[in-house]
Amino acid sequence: MNTGKPDWRRIALNLSAVLARWILGAVFLYAGLSKALHPVDFLKLLRQYDLVQSPLPLNVIAATLPWFETFCGLLLLAGVAVRGTALTLMLMLVPFTVLVFHRALAIQSALAIPFCMVKFDCGCGSGTVFICRKLLENCLLILFSAWLLAGYGRQLSLRFSLSKPHLRRTEPETTHK
Amino acid sequence: MAVIGSLFALGANQISPRGLALTRNYFPAGTGRRLPGLLPVSVSHNASGTDFLAADSGQVLAAELKEKGLQLIDCSRAAQLFHGPRFAQNQVVFIDARDEPRYREGHIPGAYEFDPYRPEKYFDAVLPLCRAAEQIVVYCNGGDCDDSETAAVLLRDIGIANQKLLVFGGGISEWTTNGLPVETGGRSSGNLRIPGK
Repeated sequence: MNTGKPDWRRIALNLSAVLARWILGAVFLYAGLSKALHPVDFLKLLRQYDLVQSPLPLNVIAATLPWFETFCGLLLLAGVAVRGTALTLMLMLVPFTVLVFHRALAIQSALAIPFCMVKFDCGCGSGTVFICRKLLENCLLILFSAWLLAGYGRQLSLRFSLSKPHLRRTEPETTHK
Repeated sequence: MAVIGSLFALGANQISPRGLALTRNYFPAGTGRRLPGLLPVSVSHNASGTDFLAADSGQVLAAELKEKGLQLIDCSRAAQLFHGPRFAQNQVVFIDARDEPRYREGHIPGAYEFDPYRPEKYFDAVLPLCRAAEQIVVYCNGGDCDDSETAAVLLRDIGIANQKLLVFGGGISEWTTNGLPVETGGRSSGNLRIPGK
């Protein structure tokens, strides 16, 4: 029922979700481009994880991942296929975070230093960082992705869902008639 | 979405002048330091964030290089070769295994640029020299950088005798720390400077 009064709480929630979408998009755009412009550096960092032994899969990951992140960042900033992109980012962020965590544990164990004093370039596009800060950042990004996946952040989006474009018009805040 | 993104990524890598060649082995003969979390990374040990490597990293590196038939040299040996008469006659050749921007920022005077990840650009200039030289000193940034090792293995694999290849582990960092001269810009640009002066 429309009482004519704006629901400020809901508006604030929606705007926060849009902000989260933009932040997530900007972070991935920056991280992707910074790696895409220096693919050899990223290749070397990626190799330290010993994920694969053969050159071909390693090269494919190092060559495509930065551009894929850039692509996802652009989609989020523009608000295109947001839920699918958020799901993809979650599927990338969770294993990346686990990998980074394991590598940090190995370094901590090898050097016998406090966990939060471990500092290394994880290949995340942000250079050398303290591990605790990196893990917190990643958790925040995972939360943002989950929020978008739940359907929030559809305001100011070009085409929130590719399969259900009519959903944009069902939002009361975006209907101005 | 994932399929379109993957196609976009593959296309972008193909178009990019810095793109990777998907089938190339960028790390010949297992180059790189794969000790559990020690050498390939910087680790902070105090609140100010000072980086350091494990104290015995030099010994570990020497052993790793020895396995590959390569020899590790320190800064004093590199400086000795640099100041010796054979350097001027190209019987001793210095190879800078960093990328072009870093090379131009400052390299050992007279060193040849040889980025092991884009070797095809440098083969014509570097290979004849390496074949003719008696000793080849390969270096990169030093510290956790292993590009000198990668370059040395690459040169070894294309037929340069491994007895000639010397890896200067301390690299340009140790060179400048010791107040030795560096050259900026291209090779033999004449722009010399002594670090710290």
